[in-house]
Amino acid sequence: MNFLRQSLFLYRKDLRIELRKKESLVSMAFFGLLVLVILDVALGAGSRVTPETGAGILWVALVFSAVLGLGRVFAREKENGCLGALLVSPIFPGALFAAKALVNLTLMVISQVVLVPAFSILFGQGLAMNAPGLIPSLLVVDVGFSTLGTLLSALAAGTRRNEVLLPILLFPLTLPLVVLAVKTTGGTFAGRPIAELLGHLESMAAFGLIYSAVGYLLFPYTVQEG
Amino acid sequence: MPTSRPDNPLLMVTDLRKSYGGVEALRGVSFELRRGEFLCLFGPNGAGKSTLLKLIATLLRPSSGTVQVLGFDQEEHSEVYRAQLGLVSHQSYLYDDLTALENLEFYGTLYAISDPRGRAEELLRKVGLFSRRHSPVSEFSRGMQQRLTIARALVNDPSLLLLDEPYTGLDEHAANMLRLQLEELHNRDRTIVMVTHNLRRGFESATKLGILAGGRLRYLADKSAVDLTCLEELYFQHLEAA
Repeated sequence: MNFLRQSLFLYRKDLRIELRKKESLVSMAFFGLLVLVILDVALGAGSRVTPETGAGILWVALVFSAVLGLGRVFAREKENGCLGALLVSPIFPGALFAAKALVNLTLMVISQVVLVPAFSILFGQGLAMNAPGLIPSLLVVDVGFSTLGTLLSALAAGTRRNEVLLPILLFPLTLPLVVLAVKTTGGTFAGRPIAELLGHLESMAAFGLIYSAVGYLLFPYTVQEG
Repeated sequence: MPTSRPDNPLLMVTDLRKSYGGVEALRGVSFELRRGEFLCLFGPNGAGKSTLLKLIATLLRPSSGTVQVLGFDQEEHSEVYRAQLGLVSHQSYLYDDLTALENLEFYGTLYAISDPRGRAEELLRKVGLFSRRHSPVSEFSRGMQQRLTIARALVNDPSLLLLDEPYTGLDEHAANMLRLQLEELHNRDRTIVMVTHNLRRGFESATKLGILAGGRLRYLADKSAVDLTCLEELYFQHLEAA
């Protein structure tokens, strides 16, 4: 099997288990919804928020819910030592990385399909919720988060405190990407045309690319013992 | 694609060393096995048995030394090298949320075998789990999981099978099934390396015996050179010397 077929094969296996158990998806969506509802109540149910505050609220919910999914993807491979069997088999370590990143990306996108409309219902009054402005930001952050998250999740899964270590490593490293995403989304909510936000989007894409390359290159060293 | 010469030893381990920080777990182990040989390595806890097996299986990187299977170096020809291996470890390497059939089919496809479904069904019959093929592994007992683990390790019909304490947790029925599987593999000229504490179990299956103590291979000989009583004496002598 070539690299692409290996990646897709491993991706399908993970997706099959996830769709059967729905552990990550349910916890991601539930946690994200909980954050949105708590913030809605705290700010006064149904009250209007500024575009900048709205963007902050949306990304807090998306980023925190994403971490729940990232942690699970490698924890599953650690149960019964399945990662060992994958490493002994004749697959490219990079294919394993690509498959896991793709699974994380899929989980993030699916959870956002639930969370963004929920945000729109709770906070959307007075905000320009236009999809063409919002979707590029979401996708670029998803790629950066899922690739770097896959690397760090593999690293953290090898430790005893993986649930604690993953957010401690991930949040500071992805901060530039998230800050840019908040600014871009704030601009979108304020009704600014996408052409005005291209500078931010380009910077975000550069971060996404760097995270993906670093993740791919360092991944084999994080999954092999000693 | 690199090719193997027929006169290559099946497994060649040369001056293999492994350190964890300042602690030397393996201190220069060398040996060769030819096709069809069955080496059983004995040793106490901390002797370096599992480390040696993990190094051969590419789960650990050696501090120095080389390992070749059929002339393929584990660093230079990593994919071809790993395609020759089967491994039974302390862990089952099975996905609890997949069925027995799905697990074996998954690993079969990973090794690019031609008919993963057919091979999975054949192995499930051999280990007596065909009637439970659609049950998730999470519903299996420890013994059933161990039988499925053995089937998983055989899915690619490996040239070299590595076994780390495979009899642990098996009832008599499952242990007998494993012994028969190993006999069948041995009859088909497959090479096997098994590490165990259990001198009797190891002695009855092996064609070659080794004693590992203090990170060194202290003894290596054909089984014909000793009987079980003599092996026990040698074992304790080498342990005391280490």
